[in-house]
Amino acid sequence: MQDTSRNLRRSVVRSDPAVVLAIRGLHKSYADTVALAGIDLEVSAGTVLGLLGPNGAGKTTLVSIVAGLRRPDAGTVHVGGIDVVRTPQRARGLIGFAPQDTGVYTPLSVRNNLRFFAGLAGMRRAEQAERIDEIANALGLEALLDWRAAELSGGERRRLHTAIALLHRPALVLLDEPTTGADVRTRSQILQLVRRLADEGSAIVYSTHYLHEIEELDAFVTFVDAGRIVATGSTAELVRQYGASALELTFVHDVPAVARIEGAHVDGSMVRIPAADPAITAAEILPRLGTHAADLRSIEVVRPSLESVFLTVTGRRFGAQTLEPVG
Amino acid sequence: MSLRRLGVILAHEGRLIRRDPFPILVLIVFPIIDMAFLKAAFRAALVQAGHPHANGAEQVVPGQAAMMAFFVVSLVVFAFFSEFTWGTWDRLRASPASSIEIVLGKALPRVAMVLAQFVVVFLAGIVVFDLHIRGSVIALIPLVAAFSVCLVLLGVAVTAFCRTAQQAGSFASAGMVLFGAIGGALVPISVLPDWARAVAPAVPTYWVMRGFRSVILDGEGLGSVVAPVMVLGAMTVLFALVALRRLRFDETKIAWI
Repeated sequence: MQDTSRNLRRSVVRSDPAVVLAIRGLHKSYADTVALAGIDLEVSAGTVLGLLGPNGAGKTTLVSIVAGLRRPDAGTVHVGGIDVVRTPQRARGLIGFAPQDTGVYTPLSVRNNLRFFAGLAGMRRAEQAERIDEIANALGLEALLDWRAAELSGGERRRLHTAIALLHRPALVLLDEPTTGADVRTRSQILQLVRRLADEGSAIVYSTHYLHEIEELDAFVTFVDAGRIVATGSTAELVRQYGASALELTFVHDVPAVARIEGAHVDGSMVRIPAADPAITAAEILPRLGTHAADLRSIEVVRPSLESVFLTVTGRRFGAQTLEPVG
Repeated sequence: MSLRRLGVILAHEGRLIRRDPFPILVLIVFPIIDMAFLKAAFRAALVQAGHPHANGAEQVVPGQAAMMAFFVVSLVVFAFFSEFTWGTWDRLRASPASSIEIVLGKALPRVAMVLAQFVVVFLAGIVVFDLHIRGSVIALIPLVAAFSVCLVLLGVAVTAFCRTAQQAGSFASAGMVLFGAIGGALVPISVLPDWARAVAPAVPTYWVMRGFRSVILDGEGLGSVVAPVMVLGAMTVLFALVALRRLRFDETKIAWI
């Protein structure tokens, strides 16, 4: 009994009370594949952390470990000072989790889906009823509360899926690609509710590969690539530090040699040329194309953004295959 | 373990079961239909086995109830596999509910289903098929309870072992007939070949049928079901140990339903 209480005390770490999620040296591999290669991360109350990275970057593994669904090979995860790896059940009370794939009880009504998870989270009946109405209003589910989840559209089901994670106002919300497959209205409602919950004091980890959602949420950003954090900071800081303008030329066939200038990146039939002022660069490069100008399919000006941040720090376009560096 | 959380899971499972009551009807109605067909056929076998006053109901009522009760193994399996179909398994695991609360929450309602099945089928046996219980009715309570818990834990162990719903469903369907036949539920154990009688004690159905025979046909009391209840209890512990050792909550099951 004494050992147990000592273990529990050891599993609670008191650091900065504003830090809801603290991750140190997290490693995870699946056979020979390294999913996480040493992640250090902190998320404070009232903060939205946008966890960005292409498919296979390690985002879902990271979120699953924090949710207590997988054990890391090494490293620690504390939620509200509680060690998730050693005492996952204690930590789960502080977490609201929406996995990547929609998970709702389709034979049950929307209300009973919400009621079940509210009950598991320890909410009393009166509190449940009030909060269910509140979250149903916020996500446009109020008229659907007595519908079976099986009768909902894909977008409505996605809203119910997200509502379950946010219902009990958890200290830490883990949303793994919450808007995948969602319609415009659903996406907008989810983003608004996430922002509101953060304003009310929850710490939110928002994993996505939709960069514009992170910009819309004005989130603190962490780029993950090949299991490592490659850049972290506020959207404005990152864009200021790493964001660069560029000119993208896409050809009908291969990129001609004349367009492969030093510092450019080629991806199939597209070349991206870093440019302080894309208009001036365009004026310089287009006359040099000569007869190849007829092969141009499109010209695009890329302004500094999270996408250009990712390109700068990884040398690859966000969500694209490895680029072939030139020069 | 939190009793309050267990209560939440039990209420939730109850709602899911009420949404689809067909399996309960199968548990209850099928044995009653079978009883109507088979009662007369077993009269001669029981008379030949030394029960001159038997009318066949003494074998067919407990036999069909025990055989169809095996269906609950499928119901337990699907209670777990459905979570994968709905995509709710990870959600449930990430909730404050502990593993033992989740397993108990799924197991206890199915134990109740088997108990209810025995009550209704025996009542139908008495009222419609002229079943006479010569011994102590009270003795049947621990016997049926031990058998119900044993079958449900077998369902949890099967869930732990099978990676796909097809594997689990196949075992549960074949097991119902096999365990029923070898255990003396489908036909009286006295008509089985020697080799079948030798292996029969390895299946739970044999022990529940032995208890039923001693109470219903031989007119005995609580003392006669002690051994069957103890063996069923030991089998339950074995299935629980297998489930504990093999059930991995982070394993992905493949559900085809």
